[in-house]
Amino acid sequence: MNVSELLPELRGAGRILPALVAEVEKKAPYASVFLERIGGLQVVVNHREQNVTEIPLSQGIVLSAWNGAWFEEVASSDLTPDHIVGVANRLADSVQVLPGGSIDPGPTREGHFDTAFEMDPRSLSAEEKLEMCRQLHSTASALDARIVNVTVRYLERLESKAFVNRAEQLSQNVMRLRMSVQMFVSDGQQLQYDWVSKDATGGLELIRIRDEELRELCDHALSLLTAEKVPPGMYDVVCSPDVSGVIAHEAFGHGVELDMFLKGRARSEQYLGEVIASPLVDILDDPSYEHGHGSYFFDDEGQLASPTYIIRNGVFERGISDLSSAHSLGVARSANGRRESFEHKIYTRMSNTFFGRGHTPVRDMIASVDHGVYLQHSSSGMEDPKGWGMQVTSHYGEEIRNGKLTGRIFAPIGITGYVPDILQSVSAVGEDFALSGGTCGKGHKEWVPVSSGGPHLKLKARLG
Amino acid sequence: MFQPMVDALRKQQGVDDWLVRQIGTASTQYYVIGDRIENSRTVSSQKTVITVMNDHHAPEGTMRGEAQVTVVPSDLPHLGDKLEQAVFMAGVTDNPIYGLPGPCKYPAVEVADAEMRSDPRAVAERLVHELLTTLHDEHGVRLSSAEVFVDNHEVTIRNSRGVEGSAVDTRLLLDFVLLASSEDEEMESHIAFERRRASDLDVPAMARRQAQYARDAVVAGTPRTGTFAVVVSDDALVELLMSEGYSPLILRSAAQMKYQKLSPWEPGATILSAAAIGDPFTMYSNALLPYGVRSGSFDSEGLPAQRVLIVDRGVLNRFWASLRHAEYLHIPPTGRFGNMELALGSVTYDDLLESDETLYHIVAFSAMSPDPITGDFVGEIRLGYEVEKGRRRPIRGGSISGNLFEVLAEVHLSREEAFLGNYRGPRAAMFPRITVAGD
Repeated sequence: MNVSELLPELRGAGRILPALVAEVEKKAPYASVFLERIGGLQVVVNHREQNVTEIPLSQGIVLSAWNGAWFEEVASSDLTPDHIVGVANRLADSVQVLPGGSIDPGPTREGHFDTAFEMDPRSLSAEEKLEMCRQLHSTASALDARIVNVTVRYLERLESKAFVNRAEQLSQNVMRLRMSVQMFVSDGQQLQYDWVSKDATGGLELIRIRDEELRELCDHALSLLTAEKVPPGMYDVVCSPDVSGVIAHEAFGHGVELDMFLKGRARSEQYLGEVIASPLVDILDDPSYEHGHGSYFFDDEGQLASPTYIIRNGVFERGISDLSSAHSLGVARSANGRRESFEHKIYTRMSNTFFGRGHTPVRDMIASVDHGVYLQHSSSGMEDPKGWGMQVTSHYGEEIRNGKLTGRIFAPIGITGYVPDILQSVSAVGEDFALSGGTCGKGHKEWVPVSSGGPHLKLKARLG
Repeated sequence: MFQPMVDALRKQQGVDDWLVRQIGTASTQYYVIGDRIENSRTVSSQKTVITVMNDHHAPEGTMRGEAQVTVVPSDLPHLGDKLEQAVFMAGVTDNPIYGLPGPCKYPAVEVADAEMRSDPRAVAERLVHELLTTLHDEHGVRLSSAEVFVDNHEVTIRNSRGVEGSAVDTRLLLDFVLLASSEDEEMESHIAFERRRASDLDVPAMARRQAQYARDAVVAGTPRTGTFAVVVSDDALVELLMSEGYSPLILRSAAQMKYQKLSPWEPGATILSAAAIGDPFTMYSNALLPYGVRSGSFDSEGLPAQRVLIVDRGVLNRFWASLRHAEYLHIPPTGRFGNMELALGSVTYDDLLESDETLYHIVAFSAMSPDPITGDFVGEIRLGYEVEKGRRRPIRGGSISGNLFEVLAEVHLSREEAFLGNYRGPRAAMFPRITVAGD
């Protein structure tokens, strides 16, 4: 870690991180320090209002001491060196060491990582970013007379983080970008909406929304004005990558977080090494996926990012972990120890979670369905790792009859079912691939940036 | 840290109005897995959020822009740069002129628990102890994990129009998961409570209730498919109505949504999509509710807390509004939406659950977030009961769906009241016709 690579606001504290670890380890068997500054910019333009502002800033430090049985942590937003040295002294004094030994600090590593750009968002002024949003707003608003509002939102989030233990000194600056257009339409009776968004870690070149995409957005939003409720029942469905991704995330993402194993909350624990899905199914979590919205170079505990095969050819291979759960369970770590901010604890969290690519063209999938629904756009999901229930909501879907899309739109559509039944029902996996970004909570809190996706999938599910 | 910022704002060119909020948080966090500690944390945080307004000429006339910057202690040497940046951002956006609140006397609102302020760690440990002690007597059930956050906040606010206020509040989060086992099945019940004071949580009662839910989940079947009467109660009802702050009831009654043409509601007109044939639906925004999670003497803009009638017997009485959006719509400001308070209904809780036909009683959803724009909802049933001729059979899986503004037209509300942190109102609601997707 080269302190000069950190944001200027973190450099003073950054210089003394190794000394803080040494101070706490005078007593604790293992200690680490995590330093962060998360800030950025948001631009919003709609028919009636405009706003350019900083996103809420989060800056602070976490000192963690392993006492042999659990982590004791002190976190503070005050980064003045005198203050944090005092915090380290007090933490060292207060730790009551228990039997249980140390934690492996990992191999010796030092380094700094930066998101690569073609077009660095910081090279544009706030005014230029506002103009970019105004142009999108203007183009989108002109598409149809039934549009009552369009909200264009640009989000730029720079995460500067450092992690130090006795073996590692790592730092990273990760730039996450998101551009979204939300379009509201009305026929005078009812209001409907749809949205399109692009997100990435990287440069502005990755989040351009094209005119054709705005046209499609408008068509979809207008089609919702005549949407019907889906008759409840079991259906053959074709899922877009967006919906596939939420299924991967909710069904076999949350369900294989190893901190849930420690709590006895994951039914998947009983199925390690067993066939759990159709042999066509691979599911991965990969924080190193290039440009993924959930990507990073190392997790908040200094583990370098790399892909984890969760399901390979239908077999549940392994879960994802943070340091504490991997240590307690005696299994290899993955780079999934993440915290919402310095104010929050580490949990096992997903990064970019997706189904692996297959070989079936989407048109062949749709052609193979006699009566079903093409689920096009996810709006929410919720996990149930113990009961293996699953809830995903699709903002809308289109009826398939005799292998053809009929133009009949259903909205919204709830997709529920028993996770193994859904995964084993996968009968085709598309040759395409896309990721969608967002934020993910654990239960109803602890929000971190992630993405999910994959190819189109054909499967059976209960809709309602 | 406060006064230097105010001085700097007064000197800064391009600042036509300003608002400063200083927020201090001390959080004690305690995590257990089973009966052992998993993690113990203390967090202290100080930050100041500065909002600047800049007035400038635009083709439409004089316009106003605003921008926020957050200042943490290490930013103080560069405060001038931060303010310049804020003025620049505010200067590029064109919005119609609006004002800021002026000085006023803020109402006293009870939102701080003395015990949580004086010994947060003791509160956290006591709640976990109560939980474990209660579960000791619950057969077939054990604690998977629990998290307790005891937070103390101090907020100070000032603006360029003379507003000055300060407040102290406390916030408690108790989140726990119970596991129940049979010979070949293990299931969980998960709940999170948020309150202002510890004495508003009856941990033994909640633990016993959740233990029963966990046991019932083990033997639960699947609901049938069709249209049924559905009763939603307690925390599940709050989830349906409040949706973690993104409730269509709250958003459609927001002046900002009206201004942006995203709310079809009009004062004096019904909010319901069908003729009202159930109990009258009356909703207040109440920021004065003692120990309400959304209570406080003033909001983030500096407007004083109020109790405001929003929906009166199914008819929109008024929008809730920030000063900015109140001025845009030429209506009185109310401050942010507080706690949701609903008028009680006419039927007892027990009578709501009486039916000759099959009825479903839902006590937990996997997630229930009605669409904030349309009011459409779909939610998986995490746990419920099929009630038929006096018999209750646990069910889980499947989902219910509908539109909030349609189903509220037929709702029957319980006579019994519940206070659930950000909600005070009927403990249960019965919707006579809801689509259930099950077996």
